[in-house]
Amino acid sequence: MPRPALRSRSLARKKVRLPSGTMTTHYSRRRPKQAHCGACGALLAGIPRVRPSDMARIPKSQKHPTRMYGGALCPACTKETIKSQFFKGSL
Amino acid sequence: MMDVGRICVKTAGREAGKICCIVKKIDAQFVEVTGPAMLTEVKRRKCNIHHLEPLPEHVKIAASATDEDVAKAMESAGLFQKFRLKMPTAEELKQKAARKEERAKASVAKAAEAKKHKEAAAAEAKKKDAEKKAETKKEAKPKAPAVKKAKAEAKTEAPAVTEEKK
Repeated sequence: MPRPALRSRSLARKKVRLPSGTMTTHYSRRRPKQAHCGACGALLAGIPRVRPSDMARIPKSQKHPTRMYGGALCPACTKETIKSQFFKGSL
Repeated sequence: MMDVGRICVKTAGREAGKICCIVKKIDAQFVEVTGPAMLTEVKRRKCNIHHLEPLPEHVKIAASATDEDVAKAMESAGLFQKFRLKMPTAEELKQKAARKEERAKASVAKAAEAKKHKEAAAAEAKKKDAEKKAETKKEAKPKAPAVKKAKAEAKTEAPAVTEEKK
């Protein structure tokens, strides 16, 4: 039985064959899922699937597109938002 | 819809959300567009029609009109009040030009300084290399005669051995 800390189902398990021939299990934290558009739920590009501690180390420009609402809305929703904001007068 | 003089909003790019006027039709996909830059921050450049949202406003201008003509036409059509645009005064334009010149001068000076630093660093590196080479040469010189001596001794030994064998 693995030790209690390794029994959590939030850990990912990978079977590894050692050079000696025996099989062991390697445990690792699961990666976050891909970012989704806040309006329509489409997958967003340019956002790495990386744990929060690693996110803090990456430079800001490598974490989201340099576009209005980049990293928050997909390009189609951004366009619609810009249009609606202009016609409402809130741009 | 997308004809010369049509007023549009840019929906993509660094000027997204700004008003512009179509000045020339390039082909089925592209048009040339201008703010004019002094009114809205849209420079005179090529633009994809899919990145423009046409407005019901239309202005009477000749194809490839200058920025000043476009601004005059927009003023006479009453668009300054509608879109809350303001023509910059001569003073403001002067100040802008002066600031731009200052920034350009500063960047040129910065580049020159950076070049100086680079050249100085390269010269220092060269010096260090030369010094290192001189040192290694000095170390090698005393070794060389010693090696030669050893070789000469070996040669004299070898013929002695062969003579004995014979």
